[in-house]
Amino acid sequence: MKKEEMVTLISAEGFEFVIDKKAAMVSQTIRNMLTSPGSFAESREGKVTFPEISTAILEKICQYFYWSLQYASGKETEFHIEPEMTLELMMAANYLHT
Amino acid sequence: MEIQSQPLDQEEMGGLIGLCIDAATKNSESVEKWRRQRRTLERMPTHLGEVVLQRLLSRKLVYPSLLEIFQHCVGSINLRGENLVDAEWMAYLGAYRYLHSINVSGCRGINNSSLWALTGMDTLKEVDISRCSKLTDAGIVHLLSISKLEKLFVSQTGLTEKGIIQLSSLRKLSVLDLGGLPVTDLALSSLQVLTKLEYLDIWGSKISDGGAAVLKMFSKLNFLNVAWTNVTKVPHLPNLTCLNMSNCTIHSIFEGLADREEGPHLRKLLLSGATLSDINDALLHVEPRHIFFLNVSQSTLQDFEFLGNMTALEHLDLSFTRIRDNNISPILLLGESLRYLNLSNTRLTSTGLGLLVGNLPHIESLLLTHTGVDDSALSYISTMESLKVLDLSNTNIKGLHYLVGHSPDQILTLVELQNLKHLERLDLEETQIRDEAVLPLFGMLGLKSLSLKSDFLTDISLHASSSLVNLKFLGIRGAVLTDAGLQTFNPPPMLEILDLRDCWLVTADVLLAFCERHPRIVVKHEQYQRPVQDLYAFGNFSATGASKAMQLRSKKTKTSCGVGRESFADERLRYTREELLELEFSPWSRALPSNSGAVMPKM
Repeated sequence: MKKEEMVTLISAEGFEFVIDKKAAMVSQTIRNMLTSPGSFAESREGKVTFPEISTAILEKICQYFYWSLQYASGKETEFHIEPEMTLELMMAANYLHT
Repeated sequence: MEIQSQPLDQEEMGGLIGLCIDAATKNSESVEKWRRQRRTLERMPTHLGEVVLQRLLSRKLVYPSLLEIFQHCVGSINLRGENLVDAEWMAYLGAYRYLHSINVSGCRGINNSSLWALTGMDTLKEVDISRCSKLTDAGIVHLLSISKLEKLFVSQTGLTEKGIIQLSSLRKLSVLDLGGLPVTDLALSSLQVLTKLEYLDIWGSKISDGGAAVLKMFSKLNFLNVAWTNVTKVPHLPNLTCLNMSNCTIHSIFEGLADREEGPHLRKLLLSGATLSDINDALLHVEPRHIFFLNVSQSTLQDFEFLGNMTALEHLDLSFTRIRDNNISPILLLGESLRYLNLSNTRLTSTGLGLLVGNLPHIESLLLTHTGVDDSALSYISTMESLKVLDLSNTNIKGLHYLVGHSPDQILTLVELQNLKHLERLDLEETQIRDEAVLPLFGMLGLKSLSLKSDFLTDISLHASSSLVNLKFLGIRGAVLTDAGLQTFNPPPMLEILDLRDCWLVTADVLLAFCERHPRIVVKHEQYQRPVQDLYAFGNFSATGASKAMQLRSKKTKTSCGVGRESFADERLRYTREELLELEFSPWSRALPSNSGAVMPKM
């Protein structure tokens, strides 16, 4: 896998999640950051920091990105969300336009 | 009430947000898991908080003390028709920090003291307490301290003239709904100080022409409803765009206007059931070229010539009027703009419809129910290519046309409708159509809703409907459908509602089996629907349960019906259909508890 096809998402605590660019683009917000014509630091380096999103939530969001791609390609499985994290996850998803 | 804020459309929340909301509101256990995350709830954007709360409400998971956790993240709440809402609920809502809109219309538990909680809430801009029948003048006093109130709906409450007069202290009001209240001329004139009013609803009030003259003072008014009153003259209101004078005797509208070319113009006019001695006199001061919505249904109109001048008309309702083949010609002049035409319950026949051919190029909805049109009209209708909605129920349409006399040659007339490429909704209920006549319809793949009701339809039509790939609603009522037919029925892929009411041969067991095989489809049938309604009644649920809730309950229904099935399966045979229909409404059939293991009174 080439480096350009990956992006790094960094949580509030500094954990780095390296995922496929294609998966990250499920988020409209990340898509805008990575593709906007201006020279966002994010689009040059392929690194996006989310100081508001905790590691556990960001991990779940990365899982969702991949699940969403699979779902779109016809593999209809259930995406389980633990009730404890629904509120935090909902707010992160709202921020990421997912 | 068109300007009221719409309830949030929960279905629109897709993606991960939608999944989170589903997971958060699944049941009371999941709510317990997150309800103590106070800091998160405080940070939550209001549009998310509102969707979560509204979803919990629709799932009957809200109890008063749970309301407290939303006090920072809800700005607008709609509790319409929730009978559980009472003073305790209101006490919690009174503590909401950012509440700007509250709707408790039709909540039977609301009384005068319940409103005390809202006293002095300076964030509130909109309050809807219509149809709270226990509310009187003593309750409305609590609202008078809400100085920033802009929209107030108090229709059909126990307010009297005295209470209405007190509303004059709410100077910021722009919307005031006093429908069904005893608003007198005196009360109306004391409201004159509300100069910001843009919307005033005083249907069914006691005002007379004398009071109506006061309306001139509301110079910003753009919506006025004086239906069911003794008002015969409405003075000129420069900004009025929508006027409802249904069921009034009308002498003049906008009298005293010097130049009718001036200013914004009346665009929507509702005169349903009105008594009009001379329509030309009554509308003398109204500029006809700006009216786009006109409802004169059930009015006493004889002469329809005035329609010819309303060249911008898009929506025209002439149902239950004296329009007929020989006075329909003014409609021809409207042609270009007309989108919606309701001619139902008139003496129109196919001949009259023939006159309209080629003159309604953009017509989208045509309603002809209870008219004399027959199969020959179908060829005329087929030329109206932009049609999306077509109602031909209760007409003489048979779907078959015999060529000469009694010769066996016949043509399928519904083939003509295949020309309507945009048609989405078709209603042919209560016509004499048979299976072979209906078949051409099943080639119309754009159809989303199809309603049929005829004693002559059988399983053949049901099975043929499988081809309608976009169909969401299918009604085959009163047909001779069999259990075997339903068992082998392969429903269209998008189907959401299947209406089989009055299909008397179908049994409950087969219906339940069908619902189990197709959980996404809501089935309407006498045998199937009733247990669901009973469950609602005993569970203290409001009758406004959505179709989804119905699906959820279908499983419960099944278990309660499953017990001792043999003992009552044949009970049906003991009664005639008429007797069974009577039993359906008898008190004892509702009195049996549905969840105690007792057998449901099945028909």
